[in-house]
Amino acid sequence: MKRNLFALLSLLVLASMVLAACGGAPEATEAPATEAAPATEAAATEEAAACEPGGTEPIAFPDGGKSVTAAFDQEPDAIVPYFTQMSFAVWVTQLTLVGLGEWDDKGTFVPELAAEVPTAENGGVSADGLTITWKLKDCLFWSDGEPITSEDVKFTWELVVDPANAVTTRTGYDVIESIETPDDTTVVIKFAELYPPWPTLFTQGPNNAGSILPKHILEGITAAETDPFIRMPTVASGPFVITEWIPGDYMTLLPNPNFYKGRANLDRVQIRFVADSEAAKAALQTGDVDWYPNFSEGDIEALEALAPAVVLTVVPGVDFEHYFFNMGRVDGVDGRGAAENEGFCPFKDVRVRKAITLGINRQAIVDTLLFGKTTVPVSQWPNSAWTNTDLVADAYDPDAAAALLDEAGYTVGPDGIRVGDCNGTQTKLSFNFETTTAPIRIAIATVAQADLAKIGVEFTPIHTPAGTFFGQYVDGGPLTTGNYDMGGYTTGFYPDPYTDNYKCENIPTAANPTGTNWYHLCDPALSDLMDTALDTVDPAARKAILDEAQAYIAENYYVLMMYARGNVYGSTPRFQFGPVGPESDLNWNAEDWDVTE
Amino acid sequence: MWTYLLRRLFQALFTLLIITVLCFLLTRFSGDPLAQYAANPRMSAEDRAALVERLGLNDPLYVQYLKWLGLAIQGDLGNSFFARQPVSEMIAQRLPNTLILMMTAEIVTVSFALFLGIISAVKQYSFWDNAITTFSFVGFSIPIFFSALGLMLIFAVQFKEWGLPYLPTGASVWDKSDPVEYIRNMILPVTALAFVNSAGYSRFVRTSILEVLGLDYIRTARAKGLTGRAVLFKHALRNAALPLVTIVGLDIPFLLGGAIVTESVFSWPGMGRLFWEYSQRSDYPVVLGILLIISLAVVILTIVTDIVYTFVDPRIRLS
Repeated sequence: MKRNLFALLSLLVLASMVLAACGGAPEATEAPATEAAPATEAAATEEAAACEPGGTEPIAFPDGGKSVTAAFDQEPDAIVPYFTQMSFAVWVTQLTLVGLGEWDDKGTFVPELAAEVPTAENGGVSADGLTITWKLKDCLFWSDGEPITSEDVKFTWELVVDPANAVTTRTGYDVIESIETPDDTTVVIKFAELYPPWPTLFTQGPNNAGSILPKHILEGITAAETDPFIRMPTVASGPFVITEWIPGDYMTLLPNPNFYKGRANLDRVQIRFVADSEAAKAALQTGDVDWYPNFSEGDIEALEALAPAVVLTVVPGVDFEHYFFNMGRVDGVDGRGAAENEGFCPFKDVRVRKAITLGINRQAIVDTLLFGKTTVPVSQWPNSAWTNTDLVADAYDPDAAAALLDEAGYTVGPDGIRVGDCNGTQTKLSFNFETTTAPIRIAIATVAQADLAKIGVEFTPIHTPAGTFFGQYVDGGPLTTGNYDMGGYTTGFYPDPYTDNYKCENIPTAANPTGTNWYHLCDPALSDLMDTALDTVDPAARKAILDEAQAYIAENYYVLMMYARGNVYGSTPRFQFGPVGPESDLNWNAEDWDVTE
Repeated sequence: MWTYLLRRLFQALFTLLIITVLCFLLTRFSGDPLAQYAANPRMSAEDRAALVERLGLNDPLYVQYLKWLGLAIQGDLGNSFFARQPVSEMIAQRLPNTLILMMTAEIVTVSFALFLGIISAVKQYSFWDNAITTFSFVGFSIPIFFSALGLMLIFAVQFKEWGLPYLPTGASVWDKSDPVEYIRNMILPVTALAFVNSAGYSRFVRTSILEVLGLDYIRTARAKGLTGRAVLFKHALRNAALPLVTIVGLDIPFLLGGAIVTESVFSWPGMGRLFWEYSQRSDYPVVLGILLIISLAVVILTIVTDIVYTFVDPRIRLS
């Protein structure tokens, strides 16, 4: 019996070794690349001159071609951007369906299918700001060889605003009055009212998903969201075409022969669907995948330890983690913005808000918990062209913080916590801080709690699951109903500054449950400034107004900017991508990706 | 026989109906499928209302249930809210992967459990029995995500680092027409599943063999002068294995559901991951579809087992 057991065990071990060895060799796809690219480019240029498509099918994967594989831990729900808002879906969209323009790694708005970005100077923006004229590049083709024309842009708009289609958002598209197409390359967009964020329409950027859709494929369909094309577009305008999608398993993309910039460098991109970032980390270490786009700041230390097998890239992004005060006011201000909660009385005093801001060592949090990979931002729109660069972040200064609290009348009581008079009531500087259960948030709140204790402020973190924390007004979500003292989460702006969350009119109430002013803040001066910004078309004038708004928010200490969220990518050394900027995802220039062995 | 069968079928249908009501209520109250749009300031209240209308979420609960049931009876499990695919299509895509993985794991588990259980029982209180007992308790106590990740760390990540032939970290992007590649991808998940499951099963085999070995007919067989091996395999094992067969039989419907943790860790594109991913997003049609199929399998297999018993055991009568 013993001998049999050993025999069987050895057989098992042997069998697994043999099986492992069979596939252990590097994949054929990783073999050195053949240098065929220049010839293809030349051919593409010639064909473009004759205005003929480069082909009608995705370019098949050649033997020994160059391939990279990504790990995604969420499977995209729809690739056509108007029907999804998943980051993972948008990343695939960037590879396949491009828009009129996009934001490059420096945060500049650059044309894609358009020949140039409309401005007042080039006649693209009318004097009254209500008409935007886009010119498309000449000789654009879909991957199936059909021309891309202004008709496609008009059709895209019609599809988005058609009530028969269940798109996730029509914001912006619904203020377009008409789109005219005098010729194949001219798109004249007329707005019913001023819409300064017009660059966010039909374009792609951070948190902004738009593209141009093929009329010749989608024309005449009803309930577009159920059409297979919405989930998996088989015709592309971007550098790659999706050719295969095995749900739960993987997706394959091959080069688009008609991409406007010429054929992509790589011969294939694959996307593997994995369970989570841990699985992605293991797959990166073995080289089973070449990149994973969704690590969080908390992974930085572990990823650094994996060098050189894994390359860590951290780009401070336009999203930011912020703490804020519940400024609720039951009576409203000048008859505007009455909140249904009162907020925490001491927060109405700017000295208290400033003291709390100065009393948290934000730079230390960035240096220790985030390994110095990001920064403490100064403005609502960090790392972007909209940032007010004159502002400076307040440094940690507990002495100044204590002095401010003394001045505001809060003195340290016997238990070490300050007490003072607020609107005739003895009030302790003891309040809760609510955020989600993300480990990094727990760590940061713990540091903030210790820092504030030193200046006699009792700060009690509450960690609520995101589903409840962000719950709707009707479900009693703490943010929307204002059932918190201080709050914290990450927000970001859409390529164009998002300002509705500072408007009095947007405080959520029973009458206005979908209001997005979760600060429950009504400051008419700020609210009006934001309104003016939305009525100003000239980008320079708008920037001046928004600069003023940023300075105003900073002076009044309504929010504490904690840190600019980093985009944390892990990749293998063979995968050559980039450059990547705060406003461009890794995927924005996939046509330039390459591999080295 | 026929009256019995009809009665059982009627009971089964009634049970299924109650199960679907419970599952419907549970999934319906597990979360809001539109919660993921909550923090999207670009989505206006009208956009939201349009989506709610489109997904049929504004109907009263009983209307939603009846609509779903009406279609399910006709074999239409509806469309996924997010994948926008028919649920039946999604299940059909995942089911073969799950069945291949789970059947293989079950076969390995049972063989391994029999092997360990027999040694344990025959060599009671020996070194091997103690070793196997230790293994069982360890295997039983370690959560599967831990053993699965541990296997991945050793046989994929570390083996690669040590320059040894290593196994893939997860099933995916493999050439499905290549059986060797397929098996390579299955080694780690099957091992993880078999490790945990065989631990429990081997204890079961050990106990039932020990029980049988003490019975009179075994003594008789030994007295007839049969060898130890013949007694074990021809007489003892056959009877000892019957309860195991029942347990394995009852496991079969659950094999359809896949192994949520194992499939997730090894990125196996099966039913377990499908269920997990879509329940997190409160995609009711997908979750309900999977629950319905598993319930259906349980109910049908219970009836089949009952009928089979009447053939196996003459003491049972259907009338």
